[in-house]
Amino acid sequence: MGVFDGAIIYANLLVLLSIGLTMTYITTSVPNFAQGSFAVFGSYISFTLFKLLKIHPYFSLPISFILGGLLGILTYLTVLRPLINKGASVVILMIATLAWDLILFGFIGIFSEYIGKITKSYATKFIFTPFDFKLFGLNGIFFVSMAVIILLLLFLFILLYKTKFGIALRASMENPNLAEVMGINVEYTRVFSWFLSGALAGIAGSLLPFKQEIVQSTGAMIIVSIFAASIVGGLGSIYGALLGGYLIGLSESLITFYLSKLFGTGVLVYSKVIPLIFLIITLLFIPQGLSSIKWERWRKLICLRA
Amino acid sequence: MLEIKNLYSGYKELHILFDVNVKVNKNEITAILGPNGSGKSTLLKSIFGLTTIFNGEIVYEGRDITRIPPHSKTKLGIAYLPQTENIFTNLSVEENLKISGYTVSPDIYQERLELALSMFPELETKLKRKAGTLSGGERQFLAIAMALVRNAKLIMLDEPTAMLSPKFASMMFDRIKFLRDELKLTILLVEQNVLKALDISDRAYMLIGGRVVFDGKAKDLVNHEKFDQLCIGYTL
Repeated sequence: MGVFDGAIIYANLLVLLSIGLTMTYITTSVPNFAQGSFAVFGSYISFTLFKLLKIHPYFSLPISFILGGLLGILTYLTVLRPLINKGASVVILMIATLAWDLILFGFIGIFSEYIGKITKSYATKFIFTPFDFKLFGLNGIFFVSMAVIILLLLFLFILLYKTKFGIALRASMENPNLAEVMGINVEYTRVFSWFLSGALAGIAGSLLPFKQEIVQSTGAMIIVSIFAASIVGGLGSIYGALLGGYLIGLSESLITFYLSKLFGTGVLVYSKVIPLIFLIITLLFIPQGLSSIKWERWRKLICLRA
Repeated sequence: MLEIKNLYSGYKELHILFDVNVKVNKNEITAILGPNGSGKSTLLKSIFGLTTIFNGEIVYEGRDITRIPPHSKTKLGIAYLPQTENIFTNLSVEENLKISGYTVSPDIYQERLELALSMFPELETKLKRKAGTLSGGERQFLAIAMALVRNAKLIMLDEPTAMLSPKFASMMFDRIKFLRDELKLTILLVEQNVLKALDISDRAYMLIGGRVVFDGKAKDLVNHEKFDQLCIGYTL
């Protein structure tokens, strides 16, 4: 896999994960630290279906979408909603997602041991690259991830801007009290946003093993980049998650690659330093994220100077 | 149409309203007046289910609605327009109107939309604009237009002329009258502009310290002993 196509694939998957994180943050004010484990859950769904039923991971995407969505709903209904109803602060909710992440981490570990035993294969570490196809000299995941991101963004655009429920969802994100006044059942929109967040993570997780090796702790590693992408883009904006996802995804891969050329491959282990540097710079200079920048004003300013 | 019986309500542990009794008749404007902090806005919020009800009963068209959630009250034809944040600023004007018709059928929505736009023609040319870019007066017009789209029979307005220019405030009072006279709607109005509110209202209630101290015809309130207290800070 080339450096550039690898960076684009990674950025595509990061966009899906950061959109999910941003969406649940806007609707329920929960910074979900389990989002990375949601993705690993998706990876294991595809792995299990592949091992047990011989379903190629590309064909298991709809199942990962649905089961990932159900995991999102389960997380919200069993852990977060009871806490929100008791008036829990953002810090408490954050700690709850950290605890939930560790629980998922444990379950995934137990499950990987179990599935390894019944399929007589090594399930605590796996990669799908050998099962990918080649097209024009590139790995199939490049085209599949591009197609998936285009389709899902189109789906999200139509859902959020062209359907009544989508407008209700956006209204609930902006002002849940007023949305309630309009007759919208805000709780439904919250549950739906958790479904969508889990579903997008499930899809990203199913595709991730085509790009990198999956281990039990992959979620703990990738969550750094997901949060950086959402915060750099602006935690209050889905459009920001898109911007942040591409910025962090591309820069993490490309900058690490060029640094490894200069300082040796030892740099690769510290690739997560890159998103964290972007995160700190954003918090210092644009705390509301890239989506808060009034680009139109800058354009006018540049035009006036010219 | 709406009857509030012995209502005690507030926020969490805090009691704001005490033994409030209010009756709103069909096709009338009922004004709720009182000095700042007297519980006027809390009364509207309580009717709509946005506060803690400690005791009492709220009956709408013969049905006890005290404990039903706000989104269900919307379906019954009750519209509540908060004083601020009464539109979605990140949505377009058109999307605001569309979302306000969330609970009505497409046919009724189209019919109500045409009615709302005929009443507020200044919105028609701004349908694609983000609602956050509208002026203060236009925002209030949009908020009322949204209530009309939701096919409301009872509209509760919380200080609709607050922060409006005198020209827009006057237009707003005219349109509230129009809602009652031409569209036969029932209005429950909380307003700081006391004299203007009394001028267009049929009945009035004066709240002080969370208790009703006057209940009667709007014209009679000016003779009440505490009327001066109500008007402190306002031009007579």
